[in-house]
Amino acid sequence: MTPIIQTEALTKVYGANGAAVHALRGIDLTVEKGEFVALIGPSGSGKSTLMAILGCLDLPTVGTYTLDGRQVQGLSGGELARIRNEKVGFVFQSYNLLPRASIVRNVELPMLYAGVGRKERRERALALLEKVGIADKADKLPATLSGGQKQRVAVARALANNPALLLADEPTGALDSKTGAEVLDLFRELHQQGNTLLLVTHDPSIAALAQRRVEIRDGLIAVAEGVA
Amino acid sequence: MASTGAFRERLIGAWEEIRENLGRSVLQALGVLLGVAAVLGGFSISDSQRKRSAEMFVKMGGLDKLNVQPKAAIKDGRPTALQQANLGLRDADAISGEALQADAIQGVSRQKNTRSRVVSAYADQDRQVRGIGGDYIPTNGYGVAQGRGFSNTEMETGAPVVILGTEAANTFFPKGDALGQSLRIGDIPVTVIGTFQERVFRFREGQGNQFWWRNRIIAVPANLVQRRMNGDAYRRVDQVTFRIPDLNAMSGFAQQLKNLVKANHRLQDDFRLDDVAARVRRRQSQGDVYDIIFMLSGVLALVGGGIVNVNIQMASLKERVREVGVKMAIGASGREIFKGFMTEALLLTALGGFAGLFLGVGFSWIITKSIGIPLYMTPASFVWAYCMAAAFGFLFALYPAWKASRLSPMEALRYE
Repeated sequence: MTPIIQTEALTKVYGANGAAVHALRGIDLTVEKGEFVALIGPSGSGKSTLMAILGCLDLPTVGTYTLDGRQVQGLSGGELARIRNEKVGFVFQSYNLLPRASIVRNVELPMLYAGVGRKERRERALALLEKVGIADKADKLPATLSGGQKQRVAVARALANNPALLLADEPTGALDSKTGAEVLDLFRELHQQGNTLLLVTHDPSIAALAQRRVEIRDGLIAVAEGVA
Repeated sequence: MASTGAFRERLIGAWEEIRENLGRSVLQALGVLLGVAAVLGGFSISDSQRKRSAEMFVKMGGLDKLNVQPKAAIKDGRPTALQQANLGLRDADAISGEALQADAIQGVSRQKNTRSRVVSAYADQDRQVRGIGGDYIPTNGYGVAQGRGFSNTEMETGAPVVILGTEAANTFFPKGDALGQSLRIGDIPVTVIGTFQERVFRFREGQGNQFWWRNRIIAVPANLVQRRMNGDAYRRVDQVTFRIPDLNAMSGFAQQLKNLVKANHRLQDDFRLDDVAARVRRRQSQGDVYDIIFMLSGVLALVGGGIVNVNIQMASLKERVREVGVKMAIGASGREIFKGFMTEALLLTALGGFAGLFLGVGFSWIITKSIGIPLYMTPASFVWAYCMAAAFGFLFALYPAWKASRLSPMEALRYE
């Protein structure tokens, strides 16, 4: 079976020759379908860059990246947007919900970009909100929700197009430990349902929840442990 | 495409954005609003003026006239024997002119005027006396109010009868019983057989009557002037007017007439033609300058508003970089972002433009009211004003929208 993520010698260089910064220096990473992987590393290690490339927000300078069987390098901005839309679900530390759209419309948005019809969009969005446990807030604005609830909305939105990969960047960073734990429970549940999860964190206790931990340091994979 | 409701969603999004940033949006719409109002106001003011002019020409008896008047063959110096022998404009010219295009010509009138002492029981004045022939009365917009017009026999024989304008009637018969009374023009006693309707036209409300002098008319048959006052053997006349309703036939006829009359006059240029419609058109084309000025001021308002809009959009884009980043992260293409921003700008333009139409109507109403002419607006002006605003709104929305669509998703997401 093809892995969800497969990178070879992934390198990212910022800036011009003189002042070039090598954010990634050759990452070889494979994530199989259904895995729950934690990406850890101190700030400046390159884990955000790696996350951006894995999420198709950015392209590697050198190296190849295959996401769910699709070669990513060399694609145009429009094609990348399509891949992000169909194959990747993002969950951010700061939720990044659109403040002026209701909860249900926030969840519908990825489906809108995918061209899903209005009725189906609404049904699926409501089902997803049901799944993350906040169906009753569908018509509220994000500002009226608590942090934990907002993150649940973000998870529902990330799942909207049945992505091959769920990418979570410090999803509990802005939450207190109790609600953080609840959100993590939600992730574990999603993993059990067969979703592939990549969780970026600097907190070892959170990383411990994952099947596998990959530590990035100075743009390279320093330690990889757990089931490969 | 329509089934996904993407456009509807963009519209809702744009509306939310506008409502959320009401102050900014109002400022943006204001530029469009003033531009539309200026364009519409300009158009309707010149339309109203033009309409008023047209009304005036109708009251004058129409524009579809070609006047022929005598002119001195030489301006200075000693005339040659031929020039001295010039025949001048004559009855014969009118008759042969009419024969040229009998189908197109709807009326011919002649004038043979004189100045004379006019005496009644109440007044004794030196007055212009108008000898009229042919279709003078309808061609010049007169109508008989009391009594009757000249009969063909009276015209033919130059009978001593007179029709008075209201001013003349009041002057010579202040008791209002002019009809049937008698006047003396020079030594000739004439009988009043009719009075004309009063001619009134004020271009603007409160202005004096521009047609007042038309009420001074003292009209007698041209042949009376010809035979008994200041006529001559050549039956010269002071003016011949041809009425040709088909304005396209006019210039051809004018050329033919010119050749004919010149041939009749031993190749002397002792007459001049005046195509009234062409003269008015020339004058109106000078009026077009004002249209252009009005239009330009509207366009400048729109350009000014547009530039302000670009600035506001660019500034607000800074606040919204992160939002753009989020949308891109969840799969919006640059195209989608572009459309979103365009929708917002066009919605603002549409709303501002719509309000501008109302302001434009108010604006035109105030101005036409203050210069005292009736307001006249054509649907075309509304369409034009709106389309222009839409075009400018579109044009000036392009740059910020394009800029937003070109943001890098990762940088946009990290933007603080």
